[in-house]
Amino acid sequence: MLLQLNNLFKWVNSGGQRIFLLKDINLEVEEGEFISIMGPSGSGKSTLLNVIGMLDAFDEGEYHFLDESVHTLKEKHRANLYKEYIGFVFQSYHLLDELTVKENLEMPLIYKNFKGSERKAMVADMLDRFSIVGKKDLFPSQLSGGQQQLVGIARALISNPKLILADEPTGNLNSKQGEEIMDIFKQLNDDGVTIIQVTHSEKNAEYGSRVINLLDGRMI
Amino acid sequence: MLKNYFKIAWRNLVKNKVYSFINISGLSLGLACAMLIILYVKDEVSYDRFHKDGEHIYRIVSQNFNESGVPDGMNSSTGFLQGPRFTEDIPDIKEYVRIQSTRRDVKIGAEVASLDLFYADPNFFSMFTFPVLSGNPKTCLSEPFSVVISEELALTQFGTTNAVGKTMMFRDNEDFVPYTVTAVSQKSPQNSSIKFDMLLPLHVTEKDLANNFNWFNSFLNTFVSLRPGANVSLVNDKMQDLYLAQTSETAKIIKEQYGNNRLPPKHFLQPFTDMHLNKELPAQNGLTDASNPTFSYILSGIALFILLIACINFVNLTVARSVRRSQEIGIRKVVGGKRKQLVFQFLGESFLLCFFAFAMAILLVQLALPIFNGLANKQLSISFLLDAKLVLGYVTLFVITGLLAGFYPALVLSKYSPVDTLYSRFMLSGKNYLQKSLVVLQFTLASLLIICTFVIYEQFNFLTTQELGYDDTDLVLLQKNNLTPDEFDTFKARLASHGNILNVAGKNAGYWFTVAKVGADKQIDFANETVNQSYIPTLGIQLKEGRNFSEDHPSDATQSVLVNESFVKEAGWKDPIGQTVDFWYNDEKYNVIGVVKDYHYESLGLTIRPQLFTMKPSYDLGMLYVKIAPGSATSSIANIEKVFRDMFPFDPYSYHFLEDQNYQSYEAEAKWKQIMLFSAILTIFISCIGLFGLSVLSAEKRTKEIGIRKVLGASINNVVAILSKDFIKLVLVALLISIPVAWAIAHKWLENYPYRIQLGWQVFGIASLLVILIALSTISFQSIRAAVANPSDALKAQ
Repeated sequence: MLLQLNNLFKWVNSGGQRIFLLKDINLEVEEGEFISIMGPSGSGKSTLLNVIGMLDAFDEGEYHFLDESVHTLKEKHRANLYKEYIGFVFQSYHLLDELTVKENLEMPLIYKNFKGSERKAMVADMLDRFSIVGKKDLFPSQLSGGQQQLVGIARALISNPKLILADEPTGNLNSKQGEEIMDIFKQLNDDGVTIIQVTHSEKNAEYGSRVINLLDGRMI
Repeated sequence: MLKNYFKIAWRNLVKNKVYSFINISGLSLGLACAMLIILYVKDEVSYDRFHKDGEHIYRIVSQNFNESGVPDGMNSSTGFLQGPRFTEDIPDIKEYVRIQSTRRDVKIGAEVASLDLFYADPNFFSMFTFPVLSGNPKTCLSEPFSVVISEELALTQFGTTNAVGKTMMFRDNEDFVPYTVTAVSQKSPQNSSIKFDMLLPLHVTEKDLANNFNWFNSFLNTFVSLRPGANVSLVNDKMQDLYLAQTSETAKIIKEQYGNNRLPPKHFLQPFTDMHLNKELPAQNGLTDASNPTFSYILSGIALFILLIACINFVNLTVARSVRRSQEIGIRKVVGGKRKQLVFQFLGESFLLCFFAFAMAILLVQLALPIFNGLANKQLSISFLLDAKLVLGYVTLFVITGLLAGFYPALVLSKYSPVDTLYSRFMLSGKNYLQKSLVVLQFTLASLLIICTFVIYEQFNFLTTQELGYDDTDLVLLQKNNLTPDEFDTFKARLASHGNILNVAGKNAGYWFTVAKVGADKQIDFANETVNQSYIPTLGIQLKEGRNFSEDHPSDATQSVLVNESFVKEAGWKDPIGQTVDFWYNDEKYNVIGVVKDYHYESLGLTIRPQLFTMKPSYDLGMLYVKIAPGSATSSIANIEKVFRDMFPFDPYSYHFLEDQNYQSYEAEAKWKQIMLFSAILTIFISCIGLFGLSVLSAEKRTKEIGIRKVLGASINNVVAILSKDFIKLVLVALLISIPVAWAIAHKWLENYPYRIQLGWQVFGIASLLVILIALSTISFQSIRAAVANPSDALKAQ
């Protein structure tokens, strides 16, 4: 089992009232699954994704990731955990505008203290895999949205994560680009990477093996 | 990793040109000021340290006491005897060198010029390290009629530095006597208190050496060098013992004759290198460049101000810009960046920026050095930078600036949580007190300097335009040593034949302070002036009572004096006319025939002291005052020169306008005025470019708010007011803080002047208004741009 959430709650206090963002979430994810989280705006999809990604904290409940109890870990350990095992893909790509495609891919490796020659090889490998060798010296602003998201996925993959968290990865793309991205996710999943995506689109959800529906912070 | 940091830093720098410009220009100005000051301070503390044996060289000085043994001033001068007598009897003293400053008339071509020079003992070049280009340094001052000249003088006099063996003509009374050049020395270093163009052998007669009264005449600098390992305080004690033993007899005589009840002075050694910055025992009596350490402190303070203000710009702009950069921080954290790594990244950016600022600063220093040299009265050069210690100082400055500017933003930025920043939930923490306080600090410092500049300008204006009590306009001043009354009369008569010469007066050269009895046992000190009867009318000095000297009273020349009001007050006379002034030591008594109104015969920096005028024909005159008709300067000066050169062909001719000379006595104030003006302009400029940057960011951050307000009907004026209000509030707070501080500083400074301006509210009001106007125009530039923008664009972008 990759991760497990037990009776997980997250709330904010506003004007003396407690507003629940996540309410009693129980979820088990096995390695190799492809899960889609769906629900209307404000239902807590992104919050759930961020809690799973350990970017956001929660207030009550348990979270186990690869036999580690995340809820008992200190901030620093938690950060180390997600940095090692989780890759993020965002709706608005979140590439660094000042860096070229190649440099954007290289950045995670730099933080993980890979040697220069190793980094070069891994980046070249990733550029090949996504057929973007020709774009390696361009800046994000010189790419189309689909191409930017491709780079975003490549960046998430470069340090070999077990889990990819994608927050509406096709939300800013037209349907053709979106299809291409979803095909890539499917391919990755077939290669053994676990994927959890947030999506509005029934069609995209069909790529997954399981759908979780959220409403007002609750699983239904 | 480093490469990546610098790549990002560089691209950020290029992309955000406005901020890069603000930061680099501000920091480079700050750094340039700091560099100049380091250069200045380094020069100040390096004075007289180039002498090989310097640490063993001391100057003989003394502490004076009054009758009851209370310390009463220091004396840095000595006479003929201290050097030889102490050296003779104190084995720890290796040798002594006496240096007496004087001025001699020298023939230069057909002209005669008065030149400053030193009389020095023959071992001058063995104690001090002044390289000699040609001639023998050991013997060049042994023979009478030898002269050592500097390479500069050799070039002007002989057109070559190879001048040994050539002759120069020195005036000796009415004749010119040849002196032989025995050595040519290198130009004295910039950081030397002893700067000379000419040295002559110091000649002391046997009679002078044997005369114990000479212990009491001090007029030269005596330097001694001690043997290695000598105990300075023991030498001090021995000197004092010797002094007391050798002067006991003479002291008694002086006490009886002159009624001097002062306790004997205490002699001691002052380290040579301590002299330059010592306020009580400065480099004087021909030694130059005596400096007040306060000057260094104030300059350092100003440089620190400017650097601090520039660093604040960096901190404020970086933090304010972080809203835009927060996304980058979030991404970096999500893909694995640790906080420490981010801190290093931001520090790296700050250092890169600092590096560019540093390079610019070196350029600026190079450009500003001539102006700075003028202000600081130095000849510093950029090559001084190549000193190991100085380079170390600059590297330290670089690192400190980099850390100061980069550390806080680095800490703040690296703290951001990635979820907040990536999902645009991020807001720069509401109140932002730090940014506000830093802006307040900047403007406090800037307004402080601006107010002080105003005060200095006003005081300077006051000093230079204040009524002096006499009329210094159209007064030409000539110097002529040993002018006899007959020569004066001829000179006056010959000048009178030219129109436009209104009057001519004579006075003794310089000021001579002496003492006399003004009652049974009341003595007072005063300036003793020897004048002729035309002096009072020529200068337009007002008579308060009595009369001026007059030819109708032949006895005036030998029996009468005029005094000024201060003299009367000091003497305590109710009815001054007819009182007696008793120069008991000369057996001369004078009657007061008139009282003149106090006038500023010295600078306004000094209180008017008692002054007495005699007309003794036996005293030679030294100064000529020629009153010319207004607007006749060119022709009158030509006439004066013609008559002067005709009558005194062997005297140096030079003239000044008294008005100019009075103006020049405020040189120090003029310099401060300029320094303050420069620093005030710099600080307000750097503060304002920072404010500009902040207003750009604030307008950017509030684009949406402005859009909504405009859609709801706000006018352009409303929007400008909203955007400007917050910043102007900060400037007002800064003014509130700086005004009392500036008042205290200005008040303290003005206390140095017996005649000074009243600190009115106008100075503060005008300065404050100026600061507000400058700030307002800086902000409004951006506010107006934001206010006139189309609101639909603003709202669409959100």
